[in-house]
Amino acid sequence: MTEREILERTRKFINDSFLYMRPGFVLGDNDKLMEKGVVDSMGVMEVMEFLESEFGVTPADDEITEANLGTLASIARFVALKKNGASA
Amino acid sequence: MCGVAGIAQVAPTGVPLEQLARMAAAIHHRGPDGYGYFTSSRVGLAHLRLSIIDLAGGAQPMASEDGQVVISYNGEVYNYRELAAELKAMGHRFRTVSDTEVLLVAYEAWGTDMLPRLNGQFAFAIWDGRKRQLLLVRDRFGVRPMFLAQSGGDLCFASEVKALFASGRVTPRPDPEGLDEIFTFWGARPPRTPFLGVEALEPGSYAIWQDGRLRRQRYYHLDYPEARLEPADAIARLDHLMRTGVDLRMRADVPVGGYLSGGLDSSITCSLAAAASPHQLRTFSISFDDPRFDESEFQRQVARSVGSLHAVERISGHSIAASFPDAVRHTETPLVRTAPVPMYLLAKLTRERGIKVVLTGEGADELFLGYDLFKEVLVRRFCLRQPGSKWRPRLFDRLYPYLAEGSKGGEFWQRSFLDAGRPDDPLFSHMPRILLTSRIKEFYTPEFAGEAARGEPLQKLRDELPARFQEWSPVNQAAYLEMVTLLSPYLLCSQGDRVGMAHAVEGRFPFLDHRLYEFASALPVGSRLHGLKEKYILKRWASTLIPREVTERHKQPYRAPDAPSFFAPDAPAYVAEMLDPATVKALGYFNPAGIEGLVRRCRSGRALGFRENQALVAVLSTHVWHTTFMRQPSVVPALDPAGADVLLREPAPVDTQPLAG
Repeated sequence: MTEREILERTRKFINDSFLYMRPGFVLGDNDKLMEKGVVDSMGVMEVMEFLESEFGVTPADDEITEANLGTLASIARFVALKKNGASA
Repeated sequence: MCGVAGIAQVAPTGVPLEQLARMAAAIHHRGPDGYGYFTSSRVGLAHLRLSIIDLAGGAQPMASEDGQVVISYNGEVYNYRELAAELKAMGHRFRTVSDTEVLLVAYEAWGTDMLPRLNGQFAFAIWDGRKRQLLLVRDRFGVRPMFLAQSGGDLCFASEVKALFASGRVTPRPDPEGLDEIFTFWGARPPRTPFLGVEALEPGSYAIWQDGRLRRQRYYHLDYPEARLEPADAIARLDHLMRTGVDLRMRADVPVGGYLSGGLDSSITCSLAAAASPHQLRTFSISFDDPRFDESEFQRQVARSVGSLHAVERISGHSIAASFPDAVRHTETPLVRTAPVPMYLLAKLTRERGIKVVLTGEGADELFLGYDLFKEVLVRRFCLRQPGSKWRPRLFDRLYPYLAEGSKGGEFWQRSFLDAGRPDDPLFSHMPRILLTSRIKEFYTPEFAGEAARGEPLQKLRDELPARFQEWSPVNQAAYLEMVTLLSPYLLCSQGDRVGMAHAVEGRFPFLDHRLYEFASALPVGSRLHGLKEKYILKRWASTLIPREVTERHKQPYRAPDAPSFFAPDAPAYVAEMLDPATVKALGYFNPAGIEGLVRRCRSGRALGFRENQALVAVLSTHVWHTTFMRQPSVVPALDPAGADVLLREPAPVDTQPLAG
């Protein structure tokens, strides 16, 4: 699975879960999810559940950071690295 | 405890009895034991009686000996015996042994200066024929309701809004700014209500109507004159205040029972009540099918320890969905939580078991800093002093073990607290809750959003803070905000008076004795919140009174199942109707595409967090509320004056026309 595929599947999840009530909202790959008010702290937990069920990736405690999960692009990069067995 | 209603009009043409009788009928549930009316050229009063004190002699409206002063009164003034003794010593005479007459005589003796002398929970109207003025009063913390609406110079008032509409003089219309306050704070802050043109009398204030003009005045101010050190006799004083507070609230000519949550506060009130009760105390609890919300084990433990005869109302998702419309009809407001529904069902059980007065632990969390929110203030400020610190934010995990466990929100979870507001914002303490609740607004239609935003609820609250606010410590600022944004506008109404009185059950709150409030608010914060130990002084005092397991357990917030209740296979038909895209579009509050998505996610069991659960409850309750009040005819059959226990008519003054009606 390519990083782009991961990104698009995550985008679909975010749109379906957090943006369905804001039809005109366009989420850029590098938009910060919390800063833009898309995901809140509880939402991060939903995102992590999605990563686990969709990609089989479970972030460790110290990996739950803005750098890894802050934007669509960073999530895709993080998941791709984890799936390839490398350290993120 | 009762219901009151009335009309004051500028033209001395006589207040139609028929209008009063319709108002009374709309709130008959508040006082099924009797009713009465008073009409005169300018003012009419109605009263629905729930007889608790002086069962034989307390009928209302009650007039002074010369008939010039008339009262319609809802509530209790617990120190009425002491006041009566004082008034007798001044030469006043009494015809009954009721607290109502004490208020009447106290008014004649002291006028509005009587208000600081009253210890109780009350809302009443006094018509003074000599001064031609009507006085409306509400207790210090807003335990008892009083709503009013003006039209021209005329005034309608009542314990519940539905009575105003029943008069035929007030038209139900939604107030977008009032609704926006609900979706910010959970409830509209008095004087705001969700109805346009309907005002809630502010707690601790009174209003005087005279010749078409209404003047409002506050007689009680919340204050936090924090001492530097805990007084040496603090525990002894707390003991005295708790015991006398409960003893005063056991005064009744009917048996007094207790609500038992399984937590510290109601365990204290039930323990003291059991000791003061002349018969075996009856206690009542809610238990939940869902074990995440259930506290039955602790409730049974306390019931055993106080020796009460205990009854339990078991709540399922189905019962929440089934009774939700009734709860909305009684609370008269959209809701963001289903928590009022179990309280509504608990009152029903209590009444079925023959009890009409219950003591509860309400108020203790506000006075003794029991909520996690107060610790959160300390931790958030502590973290923000060293923004780079990695370990300081870990304190949040300790604060919310029941949420953090397994959730692994990590940095984000911690940051949500730290990003929510700046420490120099007076609303700093409440911003996490406000921001979370405000996510409901993402579902507004653009049109409704525009109307709602004009109220600017946060700026309005900031502008209305008392001058002394800046002098209080951050935790006391939070305590004040909790009183004025949650306790009065939501807990005491939607989870208190309205759902209890739906079944004619009166709640009494020993922790909301103003003497206890003044004692607690003058203590050092550390006496109440010691490090991260909440209700510290209360626990020290109660340690010999109630089981150790109860004082030492981590407080579980009272919560009830939300969205899933409405999507079970046996869900009532109204749910689908109220969430149907056609309804959503017709009512215009929320955007149909958003609600369709929300419903889809709730139905598939994917809406798990607060964000979507509260949105679903908000949408559903708003639509039920709108349909109940805006669409149904407000004309209700009158409560026949021929059956009234009291029917007072004041002889029309010479300058007036004959009475109508």
